[in-house]
This record gives sequence, structure tokens and C-alpha cells, in this order.
Amino acid sequence: MPYPPNTVRDLLKTDQVTEATRQELTERLNTSSHPPTFFTAQECDLLQAICRRLIPQDDHEQLIDIAGNIDKRLTENKGDGWRYDVMPADGDAYKLGLKGIDESALLRFGQSFQSLSTEQQDVLLGAVQKNEAPGQIWQQLPADRFFEELLTEAAENYYSHPLAQEEIGYVGMADVPTWQRIGLNQLEDREPRAEGI
Amino acid sequence: MMKTYSTTETVDAVIIGTGAGGAPLLARLAKAGLSVVALEAGTHWNPARDFATDEKSQEKLFWNDERLSAGNDPLPFGSNNSGTGVGGSTLHYTAYTPRAQPDDFQLHTDFGVGVDWPMGFDQIEPYYEEVEQFLGVSGPAVYPWGPARKRSYTLGPLPINGAGQLMERGCKELGIKTSAAANAALSAGYYQEGVGHRPACANRGFCQAGCNIGAKASMDVTYIPLAVHYGAEIRPECFVTQLVKSASGKISEVVYIHNGQEIRQRCRNVFLCAGTIETARLLLLNGLANSSGQVGRNVMAHPGLQIWGEFDEDVRPYKGIPGALISEDTHRPKDHNGGLVDFAGGYLLQSIGVMPVTYMTQMARGRGLWGQALKRAALAYNHVAGINILGDCLPYDHNYLELSDEKDIRGLPKPRIYFTNGENEKRMTAHADKLMRDIWTAAGAKNIWAFSRNAHVIGTCRMGNNPETAVVNANGQSFDIPNLYISDNSTFPSALSVNPALTIMAVALRTADRFLRNAGGNPLSAL
Repeated sequence: MPYPPNTVRDLLKTDQVTEATRQELTERLNTSSHPPTFFTAQECDLLQAICRRLIPQDDHEQLIDIAGNIDKRLTENKGDGWRYDVMPADGDAYKLGLKGIDESALLRFGQSFQSLSTEQQDVLLGAVQKNEAPGQIWQQLPADRFFEELLTEAAENYYSHPLAQEEIGYVGMADVPTWQRIGLNQLEDREPRAEGI
Repeated sequence: MMKTYSTTETVDAVIIGTGAGGAPLLARLAKAGLSVVALEAGTHWNPARDFATDEKSQEKLFWNDERLSAGNDPLPFGSNNSGTGVGGSTLHYTAYTPRAQPDDFQLHTDFGVGVDWPMGFDQIEPYYEEVEQFLGVSGPAVYPWGPARKRSYTLGPLPINGAGQLMERGCKELGIKTSAAANAALSAGYYQEGVGHRPACANRGFCQAGCNIGAKASMDVTYIPLAVHYGAEIRPECFVTQLVKSASGKISEVVYIHNGQEIRQRCRNVFLCAGTIETARLLLLNGLANSSGQVGRNVMAHPGLQIWGEFDEDVRPYKGIPGALISEDTHRPKDHNGGLVDFAGGYLLQSIGVMPVTYMTQMARGRGLWGQALKRAALAYNHVAGINILGDCLPYDHNYLELSDEKDIRGLPKPRIYFTNGENEKRMTAHADKLMRDIWTAAGAKNIWAFSRNAHVIGTCRMGNNPETAVVNANGQSFDIPNLYISDNSTFPSALSVNPALTIMAVALRTADRFLRNAGGNPLSAL
């Protein structure tokens, strides 16, 4: 870890963040996993397995529940204001895309996605991203766009989380004292220093 | 106390939308003594209480009803190209407020492509000056491009952050002139009658997700309080569905949904200020003001290529006004050998800071990075800085908005927007790609990468002199319906090579003044 741990969590206990910010981030920190309400348990497990390859969290003591957040959004039928015209509605795209990945895994490796080694999983996901994965599903759903949307949503969920923000040394939420040292190599005391990079 | 009007009385004007097109005009009409009501689809936020320094929770500022993006270069909406809430998309604009230059308004005269505006820079310049003074635009003492300013910027420039310093360094190496940019965020506390005191910018870098102290000149802390001061009523959470035309051929009533209830407001005039997408959608839904067949046509979006790089220095790109530095040396650029370029128009260059989630999702979407590659690239976040362009975009027949068969959560047809960059935009982008990579290399960047994008959706209700090819005249008045006006980025005949917000506000004030003048000093008698 190039940045020290606990930075954001410590700042949330101080008056350097606004009340509105503290509420949002604390709630996100304390969110625990719940059974899926949009996906079936099987679909959700598969989505989780895929997200673990897209954004590995092997070094985390607390897992950021990307699949759970996607499930919650789709349950609430929330969107982000647009979608590619070539794609079906978000929920349908997810259900179909998950089927497509398992179909491709069977055709390519003779096993379901979750039974594959991590190397095989990565090969398969790479093929989906390049629109080169085998299967009927990808005739109806553009694999590259599905992958792009899934990856973007996964990255959004992951890097919105205080633990991921600690990982990259981001403390922009601690803005109450204002930022006066903003030029190159100018850091405020509350900004973490990278270790060993 | 805000003045209120009853729905049973006939108000002088209903303004639909409270962003850069609606708010200045609303204030102007209210000041003239007219009874005016603004209908806003979104919430009236209290930024100090409601805005967190958290990108995810601030998604509430975006227009999140789904739009369908088609064509070869589908436009993203939501965080880009949309807004909701009292203040519209100014709630999350970057506050970058360069003026257009005189030649921006006559692309057809100069290059034989696109169309000229039905008015020139001289018509808009006084309004630029007025808006800049009122908002408290911070800018350099001398602005190096365009006609000499008659009055200098109200406030000195905002401090330059790391990205700005790096762009300055790279440009200097290549002999490109730079300047502190003009930004509608305060470099010092500012007082305006009817608005009150606004504090200086805290360098929070969160403009694109909502300013929580009122330093950024979004409409909710500038023209909206001014309008209320002069007697305008703001009605938030009112989604307009119908404009009712009477037998006289004028709009007599605006129908909207509030808390699930349908409400009707009688009025003498309507100003449609809902932005490029919703303005055109509402007219198409109602089958209005479209004898030209031009409603929804001519969708344009600025080429907005971003070049990112990693630097040895600590940049911490979340600090400071994101667009601190500008160059307009590329306004009418030369090719890389000093000869003529192979495209019309030009672009500006801007340094950019970035919030973390925005940056990471762009790396996912644009670079396709995932797994350990994404996590490694993300670790460099504190060392990244960007430059981007905003360039002119030509109107094409293949770029337009239509109503789809799919219904949104309100039960209304979703708009489908076709967008494909033409040869001109591709050549301009290729020119800028090379130049910005050169600048970043000269500044010492490593791992340079490009994020392709188009920003600021413009067009759909073109302004012009000919009723057969335009939707509104130079005063923003519909050719078909005399008491219907449009004031927003939908009326821009060409995209201009600058960020649109300042020009939208300036044209809004001009539209208001033209309306008031044509009414002969007594608007009511002429209506």
C-alpha cells in the first residue's frame, strides 16, 4: 500500500468534513451485504465473481460490495440519464450479459465461469471486452458495450468507497478548512504522503 | 419572502427551466415589473446542507431520465450535457466562462460551412460584460485573445493549480501563449444588490458536482435570488408536459405535473428554457412551433478530447478551480508545419483537474483498463493532470433528436439523439491530439492517454432569419407562435469554439430586452 491506511476514516471523525459529506461516506462504509432483490442468488454470485476480476480486492479486509450496489440500483430502477441505443434496458442487459458470459465459458472452456481458473476467467473477460467471445447471446447483445457499461459501473462503485479512496490517497472530502496549498508538490498537513513509490 | 401567483390568474410570462437560459431572463422580466413564474423540473437545493463532497451522492444534480444515444459517436448524458434542480446544469458546470470571439458567429462567411448567427458579436458584447460583472467572473487583468475588453474582469484570476502549472510549463516550451482562465467563481468575496454576499472560492475542486458555499456563480445563488428579489415566483418540482394553444394561435396555458397532480397556469407568454434536449422534446411532444421541420435538427456537440498524463510531481488533481489555465492560440490554428489546417473553425485549450470517480470511470470506459492494470493506474491519481479542447462542431443532417417509441418513467417518449462526428470534427480532433500530446510530453508527462468525448449538446431549435430553415428569430421568438420564445443552447445556430454557458446567459438577457422593447415599454398592452 503506497498510502497509509485509515486516512479517510480518521478524517470522517473530525470537523474537517461537512455533515452532509460525513453522512454519505459513513453510510457507505457501514453498508453490509444483503441478499439480492433484482438478481437471483446465482446471478449475483456470478456478477460478484466477475467484479472480483474487474477490480481485485484480494488485499482487503472489508470487501466493497460492487455487485450488491448494482443489484440495489436495478431494484430501485435508477438510471444515469442515458444508455446506448444499441443496448436493451439496463436490467435486461445485465441479465442477458451474465448468461452470455456463462455461455462463452462453456463454449470456450467447457465449464461455467465460476469453475474456471482466474487466468481462464481473465482470458474470457478479455474476449468479451473485445467482442470476440463465442455464443448466441452476443448476437443479441453487443459484448463490448456490455463490458464497458459493467466495468464503468463497477469502477464507479469501487472508487466511490472511502476504503478505495484511502488506497489511492484521496482526501478531497476533507474540505472544510479550504485548500490553500494547491500548486505542484504543495500539500496540506491532512493530505497523506505516498510511501515508497 | 417570495411573491406567489395563483394558477387562476393569467401571469405575464411562464419561464420553463431555471438554468443559464431561464434564470437571467426571469430576473430581467421581473425587474421590468412583469408577473413571472418559473417552472423547474428539479429540486430547490440548499447547497450548504444538501451537497456532500461526494461524487456519487451528487448525481442528483443530473437529468437522470433516460435518453437513448445513437449514431457512431453516441453522446453521454447524465453527468454531462444535462442538469436538473433550480439552477439547471449551472449547478454542476465548471464555471468556465470564456467569451466567444467575433468570428465564431460567422463560420459560414469565413469558411463556407455551417451557418452564421443572425446577430454579431457587437450585439452580444454588452451582455457579456453585464453578465461577467453580475456573476463576479474572475479573470486576468489583460485577456490575450479576441477584441480588447471594454472593462476588465471584476475580480483577479483564481489561483493556478498543479494541472495549470504543468500546462503553462509545456506550452512555454512549445511557444504557445497561455493565460489564467476566466471562471465564474469568486477569487474574493463579492456583494450584489438583490443577491447578497457570496464568499471566495475554497479551491474545493468540486464545481462539476455542485459548489456548497455559493462561490461558484450557479444560477441558484445569482440570477434566481435576483429574480425573486424583483418579484418572480420559482416553482420547483414542476415538470411541464403541455403547452396549450388557444384559437388565437398563441399559447394560453402551461400544463405541468407537481407531486403527481396536473396543474394548469394561464399566461400571456411562454419562455422555453429547458435546454437542447428537453426544449426540443417538449415541442415535438406537443407538435408545436415546427412548420420549418427544424425542431430536433442540427444537434451539435463540442469536440472535447482530453489528454491525460502522469507526472513525477504531486498534483492532487482534486484541488483548485479545475479549468485554471487557457490558451486560445488554436482559435484559428495553423497545421504543425505552420501551414493551413484542413478543417474549419478552431478550438481552445484548457488545463483540467479531476475528481477521483470521474477519472476512474473514464479510465474504465475510455481506456478499457481493468484488473491489476486499472488498480495500478488508479494509484497514480494524485499525480495526474489533463488538458482538453473545446472546438467548434458543424451541424449535419445525420445529427438529430427524435421521439422514440420507448416510454420513460413519466410515461413520455424517451428522446433518441443521433450523433456522429463529421470529417471536420475528426480532423480538428486529430490536430488537437498531436498538439496536446506534444504539450504534455514537453511538460514531463508519462503514460499519456487520450479520452475521446464530445461535450455540451447544442442545437435542435436553430435561430435564424428565415422561417423555413429556423425555429426562432434572432429575438428568440417562434416564427409560428408569436408569444412563444426559446432561450437556451437549443437556439445556437453554430456551436462556437468556447464553453456555452456565458453566451447562453448573454443571449438570454438580449432576448428579454428585445421582448420588453418590442412591447413598447408596456409589455402588457402589446400582448
